[in-house]
Amino acid sequence: MYLVANISVDICAATSCKLCTQFCPEANTILYNDEAGKEKGLRYGSAYVSVDRCKGCAQCVWVCDNMAKHNAIKMEMIDLIGDQALTENIHYGEKSTTATLANPFPG
Amino acid sequence: MSLDYVKFTPGFDKWMPKEYRDMVEHGPFGKKTTVSQVGSFKEILEEHPMCAGCAMTLFIRLAIIAFPNPEDTITVGTAGCGRLAISQAAIPFVYGNYGDQNGVASGLSRGLRLRFGDRPKDVVVLAGDGGMADIGFAQTLHSWFRKEKFTTIMLDNEVYGNTGGQESGMTNKGQVLKMAPLGKKFEKMDMLGMAKIAGCAYVATVVPNNPRRVESVIKKAVLIAREVGPTYIQAYTSCNIEYAIPTDKVLEDCKEVEDDRYKFTEYLTDEAKETLSGLYGYKEYLPKPVPAITKN
Repeated sequence: MYLVANISVDICAATSCKLCTQFCPEANTILYNDEAGKEKGLRYGSAYVSVDRCKGCAQCVWVCDNMAKHNAIKMEMIDLIGDQALTENIHYGEKSTTATLANPFPG
Repeated sequence: MSLDYVKFTPGFDKWMPKEYRDMVEHGPFGKKTTVSQVGSFKEILEEHPMCAGCAMTLFIRLAIIAFPNPEDTITVGTAGCGRLAISQAAIPFVYGNYGDQNGVASGLSRGLRLRFGDRPKDVVVLAGDGGMADIGFAQTLHSWFRKEKFTTIMLDNEVYGNTGGQESGMTNKGQVLKMAPLGKKFEKMDMLGMAKIAGCAYVATVVPNNPRRVESVIKKAVLIAREVGPTYIQAYTSCNIEYAIPTDKVLEDCKEVEDDRYKFTEYLTDEAKETLSGLYGYKEYLPKPVPAITKN
């Protein structure tokens, strides 16, 4: 198995800097959901990772830890993180995206 | 080369792949999208085979987001890592033989101006330091001397990264590489100085650890190239493989290099400043009012 980035909605939606979306070298991989945090009563939306496109470079972790100083992103084994966003389940809206979460390794 | 090519053929829309549907319905074509909105729209660049954590990919991604009119843009590249990503974008990409990218872009730019007249069609060359400063050096410089109206962007990773680590003209003096075990014996080429002498209207250096600056620089270079003349951007895009930079330290390296020898510089001719302020509303380049002379 291999590592992919996993963003904590609880931390991200409390701060919302969007830096990781700008610094990811992969296109259409770290996306933003305006409603993700509001569902939990938090102030902002949250970034999330389309894990099937993540190459595991951890640049977003460096950005979140050192530039934003939010420590919201951790590298985790893809088969152990449960339901995640996958490219085929991402829906683009007018100003935001949403993802139907699914297990990347069902069964 | 226009909004006409980013739409569905009638009757085929439901059969198109999801990525294509997203691109047509939620892509940046015909809209004003910025780097700060990234993550909320479908990007032109798609999945690519470049190494994990590559700073060059980050720069290419930001550059493509920054194109002022992506639906009217053609990219030109050559052999090297960069074309692996540039060719995966939903805008036309022309692959020049090694080193002739600026020659190809010259013909393309002239042809598009003949064909489309006043409608802006932007040609942007994205090539590595080897393709531009070594093998394609003559064609690059000649296109600048001829005042060809297109943008040239050097993806400067200071090494031949795709072929195993040979030194290039842009490698720093003394640098030891896999295929340069004794260290490079000559100074890094001053392409910025040559671009200015050759008559480029806009010359800038940039590092991809400031996305909004990359966006601003690319936009200005493309807009000036439309109206005034050749523009040149030299971007530091480290090779984390050949320089053995851990992927999670790539941006740290970018910052160190920016502080050390790749500081942001920007050079514009007076004509370029007039174009930016007059045609495109860049207030910072408006002529400053002359203070009134008062008699004491």
